[in-house]
Amino acid sequence: MTRLAAGPVFERVLTTRIVAMPAALDAARWPAGHVALRTAADEVLITPPLADARVADEHAIVLADGSFFGGWIAPALALAVLERECEWEVPHARPAFAQGMVAGLPVKLWLESERVLVLVAAPFAHDLAERFVA
Amino acid sequence: MNEFVERQISLAWNDPKPAYDVVIVGGGGHGLATAYYLAARHGITNVAVLERKYIGSGNSGRNTTIIRSNYGIPEAVRFYQRSLELYSTLEAETGRWVMHKQKGLLWMAHTEAGVRAERSRATVNTLFGAKTEYVTPQQVKEICPQVDITGSGVWPVMGASYHAEGATARHDRVVWAYAEGAMQRGVHIHQNTAVTGLQMNAGKVTGVQTNNGPIAAKIVVSAVGGHVTTLAAMAGVRLPIRTHPLQAYVTNHYAQSFDAIVASMNLLFYVSQTARGEMLIGAEIDRQPSYSYGAGHHFLQSCSHRAITVLPFLRNLRIVRQWTGVCDMSADYSPVMGVTGVDGFYVTTGWGTWGFKAIPAGGEQMAELVATGVTPELIAPFALDRFARDRTMADRGSAGTH
Amino acid sequence: MRIIVDGTPVEFAAGDNVLGAMLRAGLRPTSGGCLCLGGDCPHCLATVDGIAYVRTCQTAARPGLIVQSFPDDGYPPLPAGSTREPAVTARNIHCDVVVIGQGAAGRAAAAAARQAGKQVVTLDASAGEEVIGIYAGPLVVARTAAGMLHAHPRVEIIVATGAAEIQPVAPGNDLAGILTARAAEALVAAGVDLGRVVAVGTPPAGIKVEQAEGELLRFEGTLRVAGVVMRDRNGSERRYACDTAVVGLGMQPRDALLRMGQGLAVRAVGDAARASDMPPCPLAGTVCACSGVTVADLESAWQRGFHELELVKRSTLAGTGTCQGMACMPHVRSFLAARGGSLQPPFTARPVTRQLTMGEASAGSHHQAVPRTALDGEHRRLGAQMDRIGGWWRPWHYGNPLREYWAVREAVSIGDVSTLGKMQVSGPDALELLERLYPTRVKSIAPGTARYVLMLNDRGYIFDDGLICCDGANRYSLTFTSGGASFAELWVRDWAESWKLDVRILNQTMALGAINVTGPLAKELLARAGLPNAPKYMQLASALVAGVQCRVHRLSFTGELSYELHHPAEHSVVLWRQLLELGKDLGIKPHGLQTLLQLRLEKGHIIVGQDSDFDSTARRVDMEWAVKLDKPEFVGRQAVVRTNKVSLDRQLTGFEMEGVAPIEGSSIHFGSEYAGYVTSSFTSPVLGKAVMLGWLRLFDGKLPDAVLIDGRSAQRVPVPFYDKAGGRARV
Repeated sequence: MTRLAAGPVFERVLTTRIVAMPAALDAARWPAGHVALRTAADEVLITPPLADARVADEHAIVLADGSFFGGWIAPALALAVLERECEWEVPHARPAFAQGMVAGLPVKLWLESERVLVLVAAPFAHDLAERFVA
Repeated sequence: MNEFVERQISLAWNDPKPAYDVVIVGGGGHGLATAYYLAARHGITNVAVLERKYIGSGNSGRNTTIIRSNYGIPEAVRFYQRSLELYSTLEAETGRWVMHKQKGLLWMAHTEAGVRAERSRATVNTLFGAKTEYVTPQQVKEICPQVDITGSGVWPVMGASYHAEGATARHDRVVWAYAEGAMQRGVHIHQNTAVTGLQMNAGKVTGVQTNNGPIAAKIVVSAVGGHVTTLAAMAGVRLPIRTHPLQAYVTNHYAQSFDAIVASMNLLFYVSQTARGEMLIGAEIDRQPSYSYGAGHHFLQSCSHRAITVLPFLRNLRIVRQWTGVCDMSADYSPVMGVTGVDGFYVTTGWGTWGFKAIPAGGEQMAELVATGVTPELIAPFALDRFARDRTMADRGSAGTH
Repeated sequence: MRIIVDGTPVEFAAGDNVLGAMLRAGLRPTSGGCLCLGGDCPHCLATVDGIAYVRTCQTAARPGLIVQSFPDDGYPPLPAGSTREPAVTARNIHCDVVVIGQGAAGRAAAAAARQAGKQVVTLDASAGEEVIGIYAGPLVVARTAAGMLHAHPRVEIIVATGAAEIQPVAPGNDLAGILTARAAEALVAAGVDLGRVVAVGTPPAGIKVEQAEGELLRFEGTLRVAGVVMRDRNGSERRYACDTAVVGLGMQPRDALLRMGQGLAVRAVGDAARASDMPPCPLAGTVCACSGVTVADLESAWQRGFHELELVKRSTLAGTGTCQGMACMPHVRSFLAARGGSLQPPFTARPVTRQLTMGEASAGSHHQAVPRTALDGEHRRLGAQMDRIGGWWRPWHYGNPLREYWAVREAVSIGDVSTLGKMQVSGPDALELLERLYPTRVKSIAPGTARYVLMLNDRGYIFDDGLICCDGANRYSLTFTSGGASFAELWVRDWAESWKLDVRILNQTMALGAINVTGPLAKELLARAGLPNAPKYMQLASALVAGVQCRVHRLSFTGELSYELHHPAEHSVVLWRQLLELGKDLGIKPHGLQTLLQLRLEKGHIIVGQDSDFDSTARRVDMEWAVKLDKPEFVGRQAVVRTNKVSLDRQLTGFEMEGVAPIEGSSIHFGSEYAGYVTSSFTSPVLGKAVMLGWLRLFDGKLPDAVLIDGRSAQRVPVPFYDKAGGRARV
């Protein structure tokens, strides 16, 4: 299947990935200019990555992570694709985090009023580029 | 006049008696075939079949009517080959047209591992009497010209096993043919009769409780689908069975031109054309936990998508009806037949997605067990105690099967 | 403006549907029968633009539309072509309320919901929005001119689909020229001349008719109705000559969607909620036009013991065709009520209510996305034959598997093992968790070392294998097989949760790349890449390799000196290219999965899922050494203890034979008896013979030594086949 419309450019997104006790993540504060995606009760993904990430959990796993692909795109494009490719309801509040299957891919979304961050695990980058197009 | 309207079979109903020699619980194909063979082969006619709703209302009427014997282990190949043979003579045996038709079954592989599996299947089948050969993509095209062997450029066909004796029959008619044959020989069939309990005395089953009162029996056979664990639990028998949904749909009617049954191991679908001309499409259930086909719409969506990938002509066919059955899966994905450890209580279950094709042999063998008290050699490997004896029968040939 | 009907252009007016245009031109649908123009009956079907079974009354006419009648003597042909038409798209709408139907009741329901502040989506069949089903979710699926619509209501679904008119059942009801009252009204309004009209039952509004009195006996005519024969109160017949017969026999609710939505928030309003009128018990004629079922067929079925509505349906096929019982169900129920004395509930309603093509059904679906490693582009550039293996795209070989094989055995080779499952576990209870999960003594795995482990389910069966690496106190890295990783992750998480253990778990499968450097010159290659002191067998080290931070695992699956370099996946390409460059004069070549599978077979290493089965115990695969029963507790222990008390019936074992290896799946015989089958086989270049793993039955408690495989002599031999002392792997 070929699509003529050029899609957004997705590239590797560097993050800091932290797995820690939920309470430690609840209490943590991140510097301004970083987006923190709470992907699970015990996991947060911060982009751009933090130089020095700390949480109050000595057993926390803190890693520099380059395992996601994605990019910031215009809300209009994001919503047009989501209307076509997403069965679940995307939150209306802004900013908002959401994740689930979109176009058959496990996608993470960070929705701001002026832009939307779309992330997918790097091994699905090829499929994201093919499917997340207008 | 529609030649496919059933115009032959007569069902003669009786009032229930307080006691029978044998009570069979479950008026599906397996229960009715067991009753038929008890009467026809062993002269045991003081038999009642108890059905919760109407005969064939369970999985016997909700399957995809495929008959095949291309399994992966010798015990299974032998058993299903017997069933396949009995099916091929069922019309002669009962004098009824069950629309049996040998069509040939193509099981396509789209990966190297799939190719290995199909080669392997052909080998073990051939050894134990089933006619299965490994075929190349070009041969696939010759057998079924509608197959796009490039798989729409996404899932190319790399090879297939071809099971020449694969066949289909009309599921309801099989049920009714056995019911009629049993009734003609004196068997009673009672519909709308739900078994609510088992009567036990000194560790032996003595009869059943039903919504219409008790019925005494020397032997009780459970041929129940879906609720089998509940019934067995009444006798204190634990069955290692889980129940999964299984879905399928049919299109409108089209002139006959799709001869084979076509299935894909990787894309998990099977497609055939019924005698009446509908295209019948079903999904395999995949035992890999990483796959899940949600019920209902997601199934229709995804199964259509996968089937069109290899059979693009399906794209413009219109669907008329979608339905769901259930399958009882045993821990090793092989059926469970025979004694239970409780005197007078036999079971035939675990028919997963392969129950329809097993009806004749399952019925024949269970009838022999009931009549003689001795487990026939053909079904001995499928005994319930194999789980406790560590004699399970992992059958890769049944993997994700129907 | 013209449509093309069976090759002939037919004029149509703005707003016409296909059927209207045909009737205006004096054409009629193939089947005959009473037309309803409401999308309920099966009498106006044709093939439209290549799609058979389209209701022409529901299809807007547009210039150039190709309409083909069905063949007189059978069903339409299956489409032959495999046209790559553009996929139908789907659109998702989330709202509070979906109202299906926009007649008076539907409009009122929508207005009321909007009044109450609800977001409302309305769907109207007359505007080309045909609802095909209601599913759990809840989800309403509709076909629209713009593609499929998937509406997801948060609050409720209101079915306002109205009612359908009951069809006439009498001899001659398959003639053309019979209309329902509403259909007659619509055609007259559209300017179609009905000629001389006779009305049976409630007459149509605003049309001049002759009212036929009494009981309907039959329609008369050839192809087209020419008269209606009635029986009056006195029992005498009277024939009413006509050009068109119009019937007003009562209504039944269009409630299939309501019944389909049982258990969901679905309600009906207006005529869709009404009770069905019951026609009198039919006496003769076609009951179900879709399947060609007559009243005589119903009578015959009843006489032969088919009394339940579902059995009558299944045996006569009434209700199994295109209209799914809309036309016949009231008559079949009435017939059974007359014979059996009680009215049986209608057929079970299932999707689809209005038909859709498989292409439309598939809208919004995609091919299963198969993940690609960071090296996917490298493999393809190197000309690899890619295959979907264990849920990933992986290189099967790079064109010459034999050269890849010899590179590993004699020089050095690299392989992409990024697909291995990889997980980090830390926390106060990390050791406790792994001790309970694994059948090995985890405590004895020293920091900086690794151990091969089997993973058992609670039945004691092997479901995966991998490594436990100790990274420090209560910090572990685990690996799993590529295909088993997602299940293994669930397994670890589920147990950690159910035991309420204090651990942190991170799945790194997709974050880490892994390259296996293997072959006698592997150490030399790593030295060139900046790692002169590579770790020793089954040890680990963190190090820079070719400038990339790696965790280096010294292990061996191929039987040669091997290092697995785990590294952030974003650096895979650099590392891969550097290694190939640095090893150029060492004869380096990348190897694919095919070669890896062959190399490990020479070493007798099993592949879980290929050699083992889903009921394989460690004893069955001859790996009891990997299960420490002196540990008091681990998942599967009880089952292993229990099955160990039973005699062994079969075992996975090694075989050798002269000549070319038989294919995997080949049967093994002991004398004339079937004894098992081959799970892995390979003609070993280095050994000059065939090596195999396979299942072998015990005979009188013993494994036979000499067997026949594929009819040829073979010997059972202990594994490994190659480098039995292990000197090459452990140097």
